[in-house]
Amino acid sequence: MRRWSVQKHYYLMLLPGMVWLVMFSIVPMFGIVMAFENYNPGQGIFHSEWVGWDNFKYMFQLNDSKTVLINTVIIAVGKIVFHLVVPLVFAILLNELTNLRFKRLVQTVVYLPHFLSWVIMATIVIGIFGYYGVANTVVQMFGGQPKLFMADAGLFRQLVIGTDVWKEFGYNAIIYLAALTGVNLNLYEAAAIDGANRWQLIRHITLPSLATTVVLLGVLSLGNVLNAGFDQVYNLYNPLVYSTGDILDTWVYRLGLQNLQFSLATAAGLFKSVISFVLIVISYRLAYRYADYTVF
Amino acid sequence: MVVDPTDKTLPQGDSVSNNQYTRYLKEKYNINVIVDWTAATGNDYKQKVSLSIASGKLPDGMVVDDRSFMTKAASSGLLYDITDLFQQYASSQVKQIMDSTEGRAMENASYKGRMVSLPNITVDTDGVHVMWIRKDWLDKLNLPVPKTLSDIEKTAQAFIDNHMGGDKTIGIAGPSKNTFPYATFLVSSNNLGGFDPVFGAMDAYPGYWLDNGDGTVTYGTLTENTKKTLALLADWYKKGLIDPEVGTRDNVGDPINANQAGIFFGPWWSGGYGNGDSFKNDPTANWQAYPVYSDDGKWNVHMKTTGSTYTLISKKAKPDVAKAIIIMNNALVRDEATFDVSVAVGWYPLRNVMAAANETEYEYNELLKVLKGETNPEDYNQPNSLYKLMYADAKKVKNVIKPPYDDLNVGNFDMTNFGDFQRMYSLMIGDRPYATIPIDKKVYSVTYNQTPTMETKWANLKKMEDETVLKIILGQAPIDSFDKFVKDWKAQGGDEITAEVAELLKK
Repeated sequence: MRRWSVQKHYYLMLLPGMVWLVMFSIVPMFGIVMAFENYNPGQGIFHSEWVGWDNFKYMFQLNDSKTVLINTVIIAVGKIVFHLVVPLVFAILLNELTNLRFKRLVQTVVYLPHFLSWVIMATIVIGIFGYYGVANTVVQMFGGQPKLFMADAGLFRQLVIGTDVWKEFGYNAIIYLAALTGVNLNLYEAAAIDGANRWQLIRHITLPSLATTVVLLGVLSLGNVLNAGFDQVYNLYNPLVYSTGDILDTWVYRLGLQNLQFSLATAAGLFKSVISFVLIVISYRLAYRYADYTVF
Repeated sequence: MVVDPTDKTLPQGDSVSNNQYTRYLKEKYNINVIVDWTAATGNDYKQKVSLSIASGKLPDGMVVDDRSFMTKAASSGLLYDITDLFQQYASSQVKQIMDSTEGRAMENASYKGRMVSLPNITVDTDGVHVMWIRKDWLDKLNLPVPKTLSDIEKTAQAFIDNHMGGDKTIGIAGPSKNTFPYATFLVSSNNLGGFDPVFGAMDAYPGYWLDNGDGTVTYGTLTENTKKTLALLADWYKKGLIDPEVGTRDNVGDPINANQAGIFFGPWWSGGYGNGDSFKNDPTANWQAYPVYSDDGKWNVHMKTTGSTYTLISKKAKPDVAKAIIIMNNALVRDEATFDVSVAVGWYPLRNVMAAANETEYEYNELLKVLKGETNPEDYNQPNSLYKLMYADAKKVKNVIKPPYDDLNVGNFDMTNFGDFQRMYSLMIGDRPYATIPIDKKVYSVTYNQTPTMETKWANLKKMEDETVLKIILGQAPIDSFDKFVKDWKAQGGDEITAEVAELLKK
């Protein structure tokens, strides 16, 4: 009981998150049964016809399911890799800056885009890569022909990954910057006395100190292998880039909400959740083994 | 109900559940309107509708803009059977309008022989797409109005070469990332910014189920003529005549309203109602509407279904509520002309458009008579007329349109009351082709609804079609990829669906 009185403000802070979790993640889970039914809204989830694995079988017969799965994995893996590397490089470079005021300014500016939603960001991205956008102005300056970036299936994945990294790298660098403040300054001093130059300091002190953080973040992001970012892709894509840009989440959205195939959409969503769950369990094990990270 | 987020006509203090229309219903009929939820026009609204059907929790009344919503709700047993209520409570005026479609509207509103929704009935001309062109640009360049596709090609080139819309002049505007290159059997009207007249001039009707006359049907997209038209559009795109950002733009209207484009295609209301900002930006923008002819001088048009929205009444609604919804529709049809439409009529709860199929053509001809002094506005003062807006328009027309009346240009129109201007412009300019020029070939789709197999397979086929068509137009795929598309389409359920549609012919 004493623990409760000391910690009650923590519980209070936890409350909104828990309410959110129950309302939006736990309660809707009962809807999963729709994946095994021929769902009829009039009869509800308790009385609709039970069809077992039919929806899943049908899903894998569709040509689309293969395409969207491949697209999802490629985009998501691309994002995971670049979300690890770019912020890391950025944090190290920023850490080398000696002018504190400039350092803070840069940090603030680069993490601002994190707070904009994709609805707004997409307008900006389409503006930049539009036919008369900045990107084409640059291309023309070097004598190239203007092209329609947003309609180029060969570039769409790169565009999605690139703009997402651009939006998030400043924010993601915060964890690395925090880890960097924890590095013992004596190590640098000692190395400097031994005659190490800047590059050697980074190579032999900064990077090894960050290794566990990198491994941890990398392993934890495994659970996102099927999360390619609905908001972003939905706001950027068009029929011309379906072949490389259509992902599981946008596919489910079109199936369920636009074509009213509720059961099929649920099946596709459940498929994604199950794979993600397995990946999360694996990543948790790995994180424990290699980075000594535990939640429970 | 659906709300247009850009609409600013609601007076300060009024709201979606308390405005001149809800007060009218309260005072005249003692109908209290309670608004469950609202959503913005377009995808947001569709999403809300889809969710409320999926959860089985329909509001008492709801307007949906896609027949598949209606059939899904009906097949799930969520809808009120209004067959008898409608016979009992619908006004004679409403029934007259329903009858003007020769039973097609009733069929459209029914599921398995029972009436389960109030259909909207729109004017036929909503499905007649014409060419809109900047006549003032033509005059400046001393060019005639283009008639055929090769004329259009030359004209668009001239617009671009002479920088008529500035450095970024667009010869021909096209669809955005959310709209389609042509109207289809499921969405058979109001395709602003599509290329429908271009296909028509090539005797091609993509997206329509065509009756071959021998008991078989063909899906119009698969024909040789469609392929030829696509090759032509790809050629235009390559030459820079079509908007380079076609298919990826956020909004069809952007280049049109910015007065960068010289030509676009759309139904009668696209000029006037549809491009108001173009006139605000340049009051001399003389948009005129014309048909596009085939090389042998024929005007071919694909025709639309009766209407595309449906007022659904929940099975759980009380009989009084169902009755009230039918009466609200009667009231709107009868009194719409008397409303002060400076507050957009979209704020009318469960607004459902019901117009006689030829309303616009009738108004075009009669308004011209009023202008020329052959008739008086008072001649049209007939309560409960089939043409419900005629009397009000007849009283207004002379305030908006100034003489001479023979050859109406934008200069004849007074824009002081912008709402009235838009209506008169669309009626007198936009509907002029359909009201005055006979169509040589009218093409109807064998069906405007989904067959059972389509419910599961159409999404995939449609995606394939959209992708192939746009890629060919933008030159990202060679025209020969069309043949592979036809083969894949047939193999992935298309043949099965074609057989189902052919089955419909036998009825």
